[in-house]
Amino acid sequence: MTLLEVSGVSVTFDGFRAINNLSIAIGEPELRAVIGPNGAGKTTFMDIVTGKTRPDTGRVLWGELSTDLVKLSESQIAKAGIGRKFQKPTVFEDQTVSANLSMALKNKRGPFAVLSWKATAADKARIVELAEEVGLADRLDHRAGDLSHGQKQWLEIGMLLAQDPRLLLVDEPAAGMTPAEREHTTDLLKRAAQTRAVVVIEHDMEFIRRLDCRVTVLHEGSVLAEGSLDHVTKNQQVIDVYLGR
Amino acid sequence: MTTPNRSFLRDNPSVLWFMGLLGLFTVIVTILSEGMGAGVMSTNMVKILGMTLCLCLIAIAMDVVWGYCGILSLGHFAFFGLGGYAIGMWLMYARTEIVIRDNLAQGAIPATETEVAEAVASQIFGVVGSSDLPLIWTFAGSLPAQLALVVLVPGLLALVFGWLAFRSRVTGVYLSILTQAMTLALSLYLFQNDTGLRGNNGLSGLQNIPGALDVPQAVISVWFFWASALALGLGYVLFAWVVSGKFGSVIRAIRDNEARVRFLGYNVEAYKLFVFTITAVVAGIAGALYYPQAGIINPAQIAPIASIYLAVWVAIGGRGRLYGAVIGAAFVSLLSSWLTGGGAPNIELGPLRIIWTDWWLVLLGLGFVAVTLFFPKGIGGLFDYLVRRQP
Amino acid sequence: MTCARAPTFCPFLKDRWMLRYLRAFALLWPLLVGPAMAQEPSATLLQDVLQSVQADVASPSRSTVPVVLRALLTADAPGTVDFLRAWSDREVYERPGDGLFFYAAPAAGELTLIDIDSGAEIATVGTRDVNQIRPNAGVRREIGAALVAFELTHPDPDRRIAALDAAARSPDPEQIAAIRAARATEADPAIAVRMDRLIALLVARFDPDSTTRIAAIEALRGDVSTPARSVLNQLLQTRADFAPTLPADVNVAVVKTPGDQITLAAAYDVLVSAGLAPAAPGRNAIRDVLRANVTAGAVGGVPVHQLNTDANRIIAYQALQDAGTVSPLVTEADMAEAVAQYVFFDVYLEPDSAVTDAARAAQDSTTTKVALFQFLSLSFDALSLASIFFLAAIGLAITFGVMRVINMAHGEFIMMGAYTGYVVQTVIPDYTASLAVALPLAFAVTFLAGVVMERLVIRHLYTRPLETLLATFGISIALQQLAKNIFGTQARPVTAPDWLAGAIQINDLVSVAAVRVGIFIMAALFLLLLLYILNRTRLGLEVRAVTQNPGMAASMGINPDRINMLTFGLGSGIAGVAGVAIGLVAQVTSEMGANYIVQSFMTVVVGGVGSVFGTLAGAALIGSLQKGIEWFNPANTLAAQTYMVLFIILFIQFRPKGIVALKGRAAGD
Repeated sequence: MTLLEVSGVSVTFDGFRAINNLSIAIGEPELRAVIGPNGAGKTTFMDIVTGKTRPDTGRVLWGELSTDLVKLSESQIAKAGIGRKFQKPTVFEDQTVSANLSMALKNKRGPFAVLSWKATAADKARIVELAEEVGLADRLDHRAGDLSHGQKQWLEIGMLLAQDPRLLLVDEPAAGMTPAEREHTTDLLKRAAQTRAVVVIEHDMEFIRRLDCRVTVLHEGSVLAEGSLDHVTKNQQVIDVYLGR
Repeated sequence: MTTPNRSFLRDNPSVLWFMGLLGLFTVIVTILSEGMGAGVMSTNMVKILGMTLCLCLIAIAMDVVWGYCGILSLGHFAFFGLGGYAIGMWLMYARTEIVIRDNLAQGAIPATETEVAEAVASQIFGVVGSSDLPLIWTFAGSLPAQLALVVLVPGLLALVFGWLAFRSRVTGVYLSILTQAMTLALSLYLFQNDTGLRGNNGLSGLQNIPGALDVPQAVISVWFFWASALALGLGYVLFAWVVSGKFGSVIRAIRDNEARVRFLGYNVEAYKLFVFTITAVVAGIAGALYYPQAGIINPAQIAPIASIYLAVWVAIGGRGRLYGAVIGAAFVSLLSSWLTGGGAPNIELGPLRIIWTDWWLVLLGLGFVAVTLFFPKGIGGLFDYLVRRQP
Repeated sequence: MTCARAPTFCPFLKDRWMLRYLRAFALLWPLLVGPAMAQEPSATLLQDVLQSVQADVASPSRSTVPVVLRALLTADAPGTVDFLRAWSDREVYERPGDGLFFYAAPAAGELTLIDIDSGAEIATVGTRDVNQIRPNAGVRREIGAALVAFELTHPDPDRRIAALDAAARSPDPEQIAAIRAARATEADPAIAVRMDRLIALLVARFDPDSTTRIAAIEALRGDVSTPARSVLNQLLQTRADFAPTLPADVNVAVVKTPGDQITLAAAYDVLVSAGLAPAAPGRNAIRDVLRANVTAGAVGGVPVHQLNTDANRIIAYQALQDAGTVSPLVTEADMAEAVAQYVFFDVYLEPDSAVTDAARAAQDSTTTKVALFQFLSLSFDALSLASIFFLAAIGLAITFGVMRVINMAHGEFIMMGAYTGYVVQTVIPDYTASLAVALPLAFAVTFLAGVVMERLVIRHLYTRPLETLLATFGISIALQQLAKNIFGTQARPVTAPDWLAGAIQINDLVSVAAVRVGIFIMAALFLLLLLYILNRTRLGLEVRAVTQNPGMAASMGINPDRINMLTFGLGSGIAGVAGVAIGLVAQVTSEMGANYIVQSFMTVVVGGVGSVFGTLAGAALIGSLQKGIEWFNPANTLAAQTYMVLFIILFIQFRPKGIVALKGRAAGD
């Protein structure tokens, strides 16, 4: 079943065409890796799906009702079930790990609901569970700013899971992690992909190989090749683009 | 900070401390006051302290909107002024009406309602060369209506302005400038004689409370001190509650990274609008308590500079902590009135003579730069540092 | 001449007008040869000349005035003009004993006599000891005409122009002849043109022949000068009148229907004041009547305590009316009935309808042209205001654009520049030289202040933009108070040199102060200079690089520290120059910066950050907007500013990034 369908999307920044007639479809559940050289439009693709950038043309259809995400605001898209992890870890450093997770929990998001919100036993259990899953169980009461770089990455993945989205967009999750941490991250993503759609942007081929999933290669704002990692790495165009020949 | 379901007071020890100190302060002032107690403290001093409490109240509102939510509003003093105007209209109208009725009762036949209304209008507006009661004074004779306006006028203005500004994603310094422009527009508007609020004369005689015209000011000053203390206490609890739970987490998250909060699915604009509006309402209430003690309100007090001073108080006191705002407002405004009121002795430096009324603003300005540069957490930050070192 | 004094012997002088004309001419002719004689100072004493026609001076009549004038003009004694003016103004006294004439100054109920020739005080006498000479209105007119004629042929062209202006200010039929006579000998072509114009205006207004007048009025079509328009206005003056039926013999301007062009109450009041209808008792009159008629706690059967509504009061009043003790109430219907008996209309003071029609037509055609010129004048005002806003804001736009720093002390830099101008003027008395020194000096002073501020404060706050705003605000309070401590609260002037002090007059409707033109030129020069610096120099290239991507610029070997410092200095320096310019048109006070800072911010915000053209567009928009709103509501500049700020708040809704917005990722969030 197709969960997300990006079709014929183009976007231009000051004459520079960052995305050029891009079409991608993601199923549910599915794990998908998106690769491509710098400037291929990977992050812009995520910006468009999450509503940060409005495309000049094209549609982004979502879910059973084929809602056009182009018309929705960032928060509406997030509430519809799309979670995003940024390239640079962005957690709220001034607040505790548990406050960070609690904000991400799938609860009502309106100001009045939040004002009168009290954590239920289930909420508390979920926070602990998530913290254990990302290996931060003993740091719940610490400031997020005191965490290491890798821990911040995990906290952000934990927040993403707390949102319980149907589609996870993950931008370079393994950047700055030790090999052991990478392995842990791979496991997490693969497990998540059993029940939902996960799109991972990554440069590290080893990491992609471990994900063992369908790969989409972007180049100059459109899809160059799609298929298994072995399939795309044999593609002459892909080789040219990556090696600059 | 936020481990859910711990008791509110245990989470916020500063609330208990604050309420205790505020209560103690109120009792001491009452005992020392001329109106109710020993008479050691002059009525004027009681008024100054009561007004300072109102300034502390608007300062904590400013702290919530700026220190917690990251919106540097240069318009909250305008809301303060609007609250003052709303209550001032009733005070002035009702008192004038009492005087006019007394006068007209001397005549051979009783006055009609139209005659009373006309006499009141020409008494109030004679100073701007008009004798008609403007439309906005329609409810000026009714205390409940004007009390409602104390809340509604600042609230609605903040709601509409905030909606327009936040909707178009105006943030940061742009938003500050825009709020400053709003304040400027409002004060210029009020400066006009034909606006219906007596132009630059403002509203005066507000210290005389209709229905209590026989009560001496010494007593009234204590009443208003109590009301101000109560309002500050309630405001403190309200805002401590607002900023302590998950709501507080969200607005601080908005302050630190607004875009990220959007991707978590929160409607950032709605939160900002909520905070902007509720703080504007509290500012209006603070103004409604302040101006009957000050006795006069005029457009000059709403000028953008006043809102900037408000930001200065909060910054010196320490942002992101409510008691910091209280400390800042009380410390700077009292120091300022002491130094500029001629209370402090001038300093003789040989041939040079430091006259405080001349040099206080220079000192405040430079001191403020120093605080911004070297103590971004303000006096409250120092406090935190000492408290944290103890255990 | 002879005819003038003995009109009855001149059969061709049928018309009184012609008579006057000739008489004025007769008075003039010695004057026409006068200038030549006036070259040589005459030793004749004025008193002697006056004594030669003593009786005619002491009790002047219209027939004797020419005798005196001729005597005076022939002698051409010094002080003749002053004497004529004093004589006409009844300031000349005769001492009965010796018949000598004196001026006099009142001194404590008495008079101090002043010698006519020497100006020395002679004696103090009682008011009854001397006779004040009181020429009647006719005589005074004659003297006035003689004076005008005298001035109109004065050898000094400035005096002639002044006389023409004076004549234009108080037009009078008598002047026509005098001006025509003067025109005949006028050598200066510019003055001749003015004389022709004035004659045309006077003819349009006073000529006895209506065809001549209409032709003159036609010639005024489209003439936008103030005298021409005031002639037309005066021709079209009306007075209100009413009559049972519309009279046929008057020149009616408009018939006013009650309830339409005139309110019923106003029409009725006209009848009341003419004694044609009984006065309608108003609310206050009813109250006073009731007060006066309280008997035994009631009025007309209504108890006093119930008289607190208008309805009850009218019941009581009607009871009194029925008893016949008070004048009756007048109802709306009564008023309408009374008013219906009459026609209300406005009638032209000018009886000739052909003349008023022509004047009306001429005025209509002038009105469009006037509106056009007013618009032009408004546009100049807007342009001048826009130049000031541009100068005040461009420095701010540069610092904001390059460094994302809001400098709240920018207004105080403007003030600093203005005070620099003031101080330089106190040292260098020559205004042109001091301006030439003040402009670069103001730039240097504020450049330095900007660099110091950047190094000491702003550099440390680059990551915290809101705090920069506050810190610079702290500096702003300190600088403002410092200026107050040094220069006091009194406003100080920066005086423009003479060549910038006047106005460039295009016509009576459009004139531009030269200093504003100067500011416009200065703004244009700064625009070109900035465009040159930003687009054609190495510094400009680096500034643009830092504007667009500071990180990348730094890695390209550009030192952002240096760029920031120079940019801030440049922005502040321009503020200083703007300060001198603003000082020329406004007062220099310690608070002047605060008056410009919000407008400057608005200009930057509306124009779009980081763009010179954006600031230009913002300044043009805000300048023309403010002038435009002021034009709709000229009495209230405060309202103009209020609406302008509201407009800007709404504008931001539609173009949050200003008129000229940077696009793409470089714009950031």
